[in-house]
Amino acid sequence: MEIGLSIVVIITSVILVMLVLLHRAKGGGLSTLFGGGVSSSLGGSSVVEKNLDRLTIAVGSVWIIAIIGLGLLLKS
Amino acid sequence: MLTAFTRAFRTPDLRKKLLFTFGIVILFRIGSVMPAPGVSTRSVNTCLSTASTGASNVYSLINLFSGGALLQLSIFALGIMPYITSSIILQLLVVVIPRLEQLKKEGSAGEQKITQYTRYLTIALGILQATGIVALARSGRLFPGCTAAVIPDTSLFRIATVVITMTAGVGVIMWLGELITARGIGNGMSLLIFTSIAARLPSQGSAILQVAGGVVFTLVCLLGLAIVVFVIFVEQSQRRIPVQYAKRLIGRRMYGGTSTYLPIKVNQAGIIPVIFASSLLQLPQLVGQVWNNQGFQDFESRYLSRGDHPLYLAAYGLLIIFFTYFYVAITFNPTEVSDNMKKYGGFIPGIRPGRPTAEYLDHVLSRITLPGSLFLGVITVLPLALLNLTKDQPFPFAGTSVLIMVGVGLETVKQIESQLMLRNYEGFLR
Repeated sequence: MEIGLSIVVIITSVILVMLVLLHRAKGGGLSTLFGGGVSSSLGGSSVVEKNLDRLTIAVGSVWIIAIIGLGLLLKS
Repeated sequence: MLTAFTRAFRTPDLRKKLLFTFGIVILFRIGSVMPAPGVSTRSVNTCLSTASTGASNVYSLINLFSGGALLQLSIFALGIMPYITSSIILQLLVVVIPRLEQLKKEGSAGEQKITQYTRYLTIALGILQATGIVALARSGRLFPGCTAAVIPDTSLFRIATVVITMTAGVGVIMWLGELITARGIGNGMSLLIFTSIAARLPSQGSAILQVAGGVVFTLVCLLGLAIVVFVIFVEQSQRRIPVQYAKRLIGRRMYGGTSTYLPIKVNQAGIIPVIFASSLLQLPQLVGQVWNNQGFQDFESRYLSRGDHPLYLAAYGLLIIFFTYFYVAITFNPTEVSDNMKKYGGFIPGIRPGRPTAEYLDHVLSRITLPGSLFLGVITVLPLALLNLTKDQPFPFAGTSVLIMVGVGLETVKQIESQLMLRNYEGFLR
């Protein structure tokens, strides 16, 4: 149980990092950090981005739940 | 003021953005207090209470930027520090590596590529720092003088789980920040720093109250207030260079002929130099941990690890001044500005367009940056020096944190205001 949850956490962590890196790099960087410059032209997010968002949120929730579960398991 | 707030919430568009931002911030805070799996919360708490005041010097700045999450070893323990560090590194590399410079010149597509590199580097740094911190915690050096085992089960598998979780946390924080930038209000990364620092303020304040008593506490509060006023004053001050636009007749319409001004802020660089400098000053400590050289470690712990040594203060101040000039040089290009002005038929009265204008702008900029950089240096170093007179204050980054909070706050309010301006004219700031 414990090891299974740990493996879930590890796998979801790796997937989560990949998904975040797959997102289009928007904003960020130091040029816009701390109110540097003009905010980038936004434009609607594409369908790909939207699906990526949903996927990230889903994986993120699994990640959080697994972490909480593992934490409770290890505590008891 | 309050009516402006209610008006901000009555605007559906703005309300959605504000609530979105709040939601993300709440998520961020929840993650910052949630312990990573395998970390014993009980022993962390006992260690925190025994070694409450600035025991772990090495990571105190990172701890500040992560809102105290670091020492709790939560899943968001590393906070946004890896992202900041990697941004700094890439920003410096742009000057050094020709290929990156070329990318930067390409415009937004190239910028996006650089941002993507920054994100990869962030994850790499996240792995590194997570490993470092977990290794410290495992060997018990994270809390010197505390015997309770922070991570009870030190099998490789368990340790790896913690490290990977923290790394994923870094990625998630990066994503949250980008979400705020894209769909919320203000810049995500700076807002997250803001929340982390703000979350630390109450505990820092109560620590001062307990350690030093009421008089010092009031003094610190007054000093903080004075800094806030001063910071706002300087942040808002700018020099206005008059620009006259020639009249142009296109078809039957008349364009231009207006006289405007080019605002040059006294503190063009914002607070980035402070963050650069303080991150750079952390480096020797990190090196000292890895490199087991007694001489270097002695030197480092004597001169560079605490804020009370004159050498440290001097290095801090000088670095801030240097980075202010560096950052202004990166962000504001006089030649480009003068070329743009020439293209649209604008000129500064009394100065010929083209190269003389660029030279004039450069001259004004380098002169106005001096007080700006001095201001940054004084406001970060002076509180450090003053507080050292009263000995051992747990308020190590007073200037930095106040500067960041005020800067981010001002910027965010300005953004809300410009959104509000779209609908009605009165905003927060008058």
